Amino acid sequence: MKILFLQPNLGAWSTFGRHCAPNIGQAQLAGLVRKKHPQYLLKALDCRALGYDDKTMLSEIEKFNPDIVHIGDILHTTGGAAVVYRYNEAAKLVKEKFPKVTIVASGLVYASAPKEILGRNPQIDYCIMGEQDYTFLELIEALEQAKDVSKVAGLSFRKDGRIVLTNYRPLISDLDELPLPAYDLFPMDKYVGHTYWKGYVETWNSRGCPAGCSFCYEWSQFDTRSTADLKFFRARSAKLVADELELLADKFGMKVVCMMDDCFNVSRRRMEEFLEEAKKRNFAQKINWMFLGRAPYYLRDLDLIKEFRSAGCVMALVGIEVATDEELQELGKGITVEQVKETVAKLRENKVASILTWMMGFENDDEYRIKKRYEAIDEIDPDICALQYLTPMPGAPIWPKYVERGWVKFDDLKTWDFHHPVVPTKHLSREQIGNLGAWAIREFYSKPGRIERVLYSKDYHPLAKLCFRDFMQNVNRFEKASKHEELYV
Amino acid sequence: MSNLMQRPIHITAEDLLQSVQFKKGDFGKIALISGQPQRAQVCLNCLKNPVKNFTFLGYTFWTGEYKGKKITVGNGGFYAPDSAFTTEMLCAGGVEVIIRLGSCGALSSEINIGDFILADKIIRGEGTTSYYVDESFMPKVDERLTERLAKFFSQEAKVFKGGVWTTDALLRETKEVVNSFIQKGAIAVDMVTSPLVTVANLYQRKVAVVSVVSDNLITGELGFNRIEFFDSQEKLVDLAFRFLENELL
Repeated sequence: MKILFLQPNLGAWSTFGRHCAPNIGQAQLAGLVRKKHPQYLLKALDCRALGYDDKTMLSEIEKFNPDIVHIGDILHTTGGAAVVYRYNEAAKLVKEKFPKVTIVASGLVYASAPKEILGRNPQIDYCIMGEQDYTFLELIEALEQAKDVSKVAGLSFRKDGRIVLTNYRPLISDLDELPLPAYDLFPMDKYVGHTYWKGYVETWNSRGCPAGCSFCYEWSQFDTRSTADLKFFRARSAKLVADELELLADKFGMKVVCMMDDCFNVSRRRMEEFLEEAKKRNFAQKINWMFLGRAPYYLRDLDLIKEFRSAGCVMALVGIEVATDEELQELGKGITVEQVKETVAKLRENKVASILTWMMGFENDDEYRIKKRYEAIDEIDPDICALQYLTPMPGAPIWPKYVERGWVKFDDLKTWDFHHPVVPTKHLSREQIGNLGAWAIREFYSKPGRIERVLYSKDYHPLAKLCFRDFMQNVNRFEKASKHEELYV
Repeated sequence: MSNLMQRPIHITAEDLLQSVQFKKGDFGKIALISGQPQRAQVCLNCLKNPVKNFTFLGYTFWTGEYKGKKITVGNGGFYAPDSAFTTEMLCAGGVEVIIRLGSCGALSSEINIGDFILADKIIRGEGTTSYYVDESFMPKVDERLTERLAKFFSQEAKVFKGGVWTTDALLRETKEVVNSFIQKGAIAVDMVTSPLVTVANLYQRKVAVVSVVSDNLITGELGFNRIEFFDSQEKLVDLAFRFLENELL
């Protein structure tokens, strides 16, 4: 059995400059397959990292002659749902040239909208619903042994002209049972983050988020037949996370890791253990890292923030999305503006640069609300702000309402990268939202004093300053995306 | 009582300094003066034990130590009127050498955003200096200081030496106006240099002007938010302090 994990030549988010990391979802799948079936031949073809165009991609696939080609991504930061468009297009080329190859898709959108995907994309043979790991493993076993795939839970495929969904597959309870990702299959020396971070990698060591906000795009990782999967938080143990980082540093020479877990700091105990491991293994000297967390947890762990830098953490992300307590309550975020403000201040006090994510395009948003929201973001004063437009995803609790109103339609997803407004609000057109987004991001990155504070900081790690530099240099790209002029993914 | 003013002058630099409780010796002999407060803040970060001298109408000055010598830094104004009165306050307060760390627009397609301009000729195009000097007055930077700055900066940066024209009217830089000043020898334009140098000349202080290019009137480039501009701004301050250390202190 020969399995190819395909990453076509994608771009990246408009604000990320040159940015590519190993496809962590594929690396995890490959690790699992290899553990169970070391005799299988596995290959990762990362055309994005290698700069291969579609022609070269096809010729590389021809050389390997795979039985199965896997497509899909688990991280929204690769380019939101817009990556699905690129995967589908690549799959079309693969199927045209190699009709016998079985194409399996999993990850964002494929997991939550298999009917829409399979209905529109005859080139894709199987869509994995929900969590991909064991479904993928069992599918390839079934295919190899010519067994009935309908016995594989968490799968969808075409049968007799109909799209069939197999049984729901429950989530993995213990992520520690998964092996380390097969990083060795990937061109690790080619990865770069935020244009300047050489030796960059993204890890994914916990799944789910206790908040499970109704608008969150992460719902699109899960099977819609369960309504609570995103909220089921599971995490690999701190020691295994540290083992992975150590491997990345020692074996692959990686220098910067972004822990892409939806919320890395859910458990104080796990955070304590990880910081301890990180210090013991001297990460600050060999591999720096950043993570995404929730404000109440940062504040719960104020004493731990003091240890971040000595453990190698140079940046930390916190989300607010909106900027009044009333709006936060409406969205069910379970946080307050004050908590976010204090988190940013405490991170700065401890020489850790902050990234704040926020959004616009919620159903009640009008110009006044958005401008007030920007004022609040400006006052919170993070070092970097990342703005995303509300993009209802299939599987998210808000999706049916948007479909019912006719505000959203499942299309080719080409612009669904969260940097293009794809839905209107009650008061604003997509164009108006885009103009406000472009205005806000320009305001943020041209504020006198902020630029000097970060760029010339003697406190922040150089990696944090390089990240700020990259965001600042790409403000104009965000503006162009916002106004639907350009595609960058 | 007459409605006409009886006193010879409403307020002098000395009066102002007194009103902010300035004492003789509070300033250093050398001052590095920026237009933008944030650039002044970057200078402030280079000083050891800085103390605030005063804030007047939003213009703030600090004096601290650099390599054992007293140096004054501050935001001396964005435009001609504020640049004139802050320079007067500096001069009246005992500053002997003023180096402006500014920003400017380039008047040549050869000059890029982030390059440095050393003013060796000052071209008056603003209205403020007419209250200080007559029309024939030609403000002059200190030649030796300018030469040494140019030599020092050239070691690590792209430097252009030439005329700097000061205007009052950002949105009236028409091709007719701009080209006439280019023909008079201007390679850059700003809104500060002419009054700053004029007042320093009147007080017989040494003065020099080094600026980072923020935009280009010939190519139309706007670099106010470009990373090259901010990189050069950081370099400007760094080189200025190293210049003090190597050449003046």
